[in-house]
Amino acid sequence: MRISTTTIFDLGVAGLQRNQANAVKTQQQLSTGRRILTPADDPIASAQALQVSQADGVNTQLGVNRSQAQSQLQVSEASLKQVGDLIQSIRERAVAAGDGALSGSDLKSIAADVSAMYEELIGVGNATDGGGNYLFSGFQGSTQPFVRNAAGTVQFVGDDGQRLAQVGASRQVASNVSGADVFERMRTGNGTFTWAAAGANTGSGIIGPGTVVNPALVTGHNYQITFTVAAGATTYDVVDTTTATPVLAAQPYAAPSTAIAFDGISVNIEGSPANGDSFSVSPSTSQSIFTTVQNLVTALNGNGGTPLANNLGIALTNLDQALDQVLGQRALIGSHLKEIDALNSAGDDLGLQYKSQISKLQDVDYAKAISDLNLEQTNLEAARQSFLKITQTTLFDYLR
Amino acid sequence: MTTSLFGIGVSGLQAAQLQLTTTSHNVANASTPGYSRQTVIQTTQVPQLTGAGFVGQGTLVESIQRAFNQFLNQQVVSGESQSASLDTFTAQIGQINNLLADQSAGLSPALQDFFDGVHNLANDPGTSATRQALLGAASGLIDRFQLLDQRLGELASGVNTQIASTVTQINSLAQQIANANQKISLAEASNSQPANDLRDQRDQLVLQLNQLIGASVVQQGNTYNVFIGNGVPIVLGATTQTIGTVTSTTDPSRQEIGVVTSSGTVEIQESTLQGGSLGGLLAFRSQSLGPTQNAVGRIAIVLGTTFNAQHVLGQDLGGALGGNFFNVPGASVTGNSTNLGNAQLGAAFSNVGALTTSDYLIGFDGANYTVTRLTDGTQQVFAALPATVDGVTLSLVSGAPAAGDRFVLRPTVNGASGLTLAITDPARIAAAAPIRTNAATSNTGRATVSAGSVNPPPPPNANLQQTVTITFTSANSFDVTGTGAGLPAAGVAYTSGGNISFNGWTVQISGTPAAGDTFTVSSNLNATTDNRNALLLAALQTQNVVANGTQTLQGAYGTLVSQVGDDTRQAQIASDAQDAFLQQAKQAQQSFSGVNLDEEAANLVRYQQAYQASAKVIQVGSTLFQDLLDAIQ
Repeated sequence: MRISTTTIFDLGVAGLQRNQANAVKTQQQLSTGRRILTPADDPIASAQALQVSQADGVNTQLGVNRSQAQSQLQVSEASLKQVGDLIQSIRERAVAAGDGALSGSDLKSIAADVSAMYEELIGVGNATDGGGNYLFSGFQGSTQPFVRNAAGTVQFVGDDGQRLAQVGASRQVASNVSGADVFERMRTGNGTFTWAAAGANTGSGIIGPGTVVNPALVTGHNYQITFTVAAGATTYDVVDTTTATPVLAAQPYAAPSTAIAFDGISVNIEGSPANGDSFSVSPSTSQSIFTTVQNLVTALNGNGGTPLANNLGIALTNLDQALDQVLGQRALIGSHLKEIDALNSAGDDLGLQYKSQISKLQDVDYAKAISDLNLEQTNLEAARQSFLKITQTTLFDYLR
Repeated sequence: MTTSLFGIGVSGLQAAQLQLTTTSHNVANASTPGYSRQTVIQTTQVPQLTGAGFVGQGTLVESIQRAFNQFLNQQVVSGESQSASLDTFTAQIGQINNLLADQSAGLSPALQDFFDGVHNLANDPGTSATRQALLGAASGLIDRFQLLDQRLGELASGVNTQIASTVTQINSLAQQIANANQKISLAEASNSQPANDLRDQRDQLVLQLNQLIGASVVQQGNTYNVFIGNGVPIVLGATTQTIGTVTSTTDPSRQEIGVVTSSGTVEIQESTLQGGSLGGLLAFRSQSLGPTQNAVGRIAIVLGTTFNAQHVLGQDLGGALGGNFFNVPGASVTGNSTNLGNAQLGAAFSNVGALTTSDYLIGFDGANYTVTRLTDGTQQVFAALPATVDGVTLSLVSGAPAAGDRFVLRPTVNGASGLTLAITDPARIAAAAPIRTNAATSNTGRATVSAGSVNPPPPPNANLQQTVTITFTSANSFDVTGTGAGLPAAGVAYTSGGNISFNGWTVQISGTPAAGDTFTVSSNLNATTDNRNALLLAALQTQNVVANGTQTLQGAYGTLVSQVGDDTRQAQIASDAQDAFLQQAKQAQQSFSGVNLDEEAANLVRYQQAYQASAKVIQVGSTLFQDLLDAIQ
């Protein structure tokens, strides 16, 4: 075929440029560390890389959410531990106050002690997190949740709002606990019913812990147990005061203690009730820990002896309920923290996977790229030398 | 005999001289673009009949021809035209490709930052730092949208500028071709010899024209008539037809090509103009630039609208219901400047999830409106407006259309440029829900109430924040009191976990309530640490809200990147293939027409020798004559 001189030069230059372009591209890949320099280099892989890096971004943010929730839960946990410790201490004081040998002034000093712990309890209820938000006020983070009203009673003015944290792609956990669940809503008595001795009792009858014998028979009514002492024999009547119907009549009381059972429940009364002494049994209600402690302080400051023993009994029962409730809330926080830990390790694994996937999709294979570059350099050198060879001489060189 | 020797010698000398001249001309023009090597057509003189037979009378130069093959040349011309078109397209789309390539500068990280900001707000809704940071991230996102739109706008105005300058060059080349036609006619009229160099020049001009725009050539006698598009003549013999740019009748921001007439410039249908860099520019504008701008705009509009819809269901730090977070630009609908009627159409988004990235052409035929989706040509016919097409509701704002009127609907074109922040006060971010529920602490039952949610869609119910109390009259039924539609309600049957809806909210109560238990739903005053609405806002990131619920916002952007990457790659491949084809066509053409210097060097030697030989013939003739004179003396 005829070759025109222009073609020789055009082809030579085009070949040089092509080789050079290849070498430059490989060099760019090496210098950036990326195989995909623009989406056009591999549209599918670059769209995938974009998707994966978006997923990675979301995963990273979920990790941030988790650590935030974790620290908030840990702060709440610490406060709840403090509440539990305080209730425990108050309980110990209440138990100590049960020692019949204590004098009135001893009881007063215990009362002062419990009062101080009561104040401390209010302080913990109004604890704030690092950002100055109240821990137990629900949605109203800037509102102090426990305030004293005009009568000196502590009231809850927060709400049940749960501050949720997005800890997984489709998982939210509460990062706070409700102040009402920790400090309010304590069921009095054994949770089903509670009991009390009438203030006017003159005997030494002490009403003890009540139990539910048969839940199916529990009515939820109020009852009154009244003792009659006649001719050396002590008997008692039980009346359902809700319906004003007698339940038990003239049952014999066997000293030193008798379990009185009716309508699926049973209460124990010990000591020697006097004629006309009465005890009441009523359904459990919600009561705040503050009321429980305040009642304890009032009892400690009041008369010793049998009334104190009755009041201490119910106070201990209520404190146990409170402690149970706080422990329940701590367990809830613990389970959240555990879940966050599990999600954290899963999230970290996922993050590593995403990163390796992105790297696989868009990072350059150095070994391959370096070998490519060597080949391209060789090609370029060959193209240069051959081009020079072919264009160096023409027939004109020999026309002399 | 001596006379004929002289005659033959001189004819040989003359022929050799012409050959040498032509060879020199070839050597001199070896690298002249468009030059076809020339050869001397040499033949024998008419012989003289003698008794001894026909005696040769020497040589004769008939003509000088250029080595030109119409077919091979046409291959190169159309190859150049296609190649220029693809090169231009590739270079232009490469700019979008590079714009989207930068992972740190694309839309994706800005979207991620924005939603990270929403998550951080949800983590800590009570502090102004997270609120301020969210506003910052939102501004960053808006800046990114605007930056993208601005760059695309620069490309669009660059296209307009290039179109204008290309049109000027086309007119200039058309004029030069017409001039060449005239010169060739004049030069070839006086004798029948071809004007080789002029013809080369004219063919080269046609080639240059084709690099700008695909043009077809019809040869008439010795002149070229040149046509572009669907037979629009720009050169007819020695006359030219000027073309020019004209503002599009449908879109004032676009420059269209048109034929300049005494009554104005008449648009040439854009789709008929193919090939050359102009064809590449037009294809880029309609196939890549517009759709990219629309795709980015759609992301902005869907983000703004869905975010607003959730935001207005929330409550800000001051306790007021949330307002719009973003100002979302509306759809653009414009009437053709040539419309005869005075109708003004309006367009509003009715469902942003159904938006496409296409533009629409609305035609009115006197009775019906025909709406054509431009990307795929799907048509819908409506007898009257308002009518809804792909999430956009069209309406007649004023006036009346005349038959034949046309409108262009561009739903998302302004999305990226028009998205702005509607709030500047961090306290106005609605992170909280406007209601809260509460179970009375005195409740004796074991029932719990859910946090409650506000029913979409916006706007929220007017009585949303009225206090509503649910009081159980037994374990199986409750009364509801408060202000609002359907209130008070008595004796409502209770199902554990069932929805209870009043005043635009829904709550669930589950468990076993006791008679006398009360639950309240009330305004969420002072809710500084409520993050319920922020969580719902954050969830928008991973919801499929784009393209009829098939893509997330970031997914839609990923699709765009992959689409542009794919288009760019295809254009590069097509361009490479076309270059290879062009290279071959050029080689074939050069093989036929090109100058080879070695060949010319050989020819120089050959014709030098011919010249020397002919001179020798004359010398021999002269010697013979001298011999004769000497014999006479």
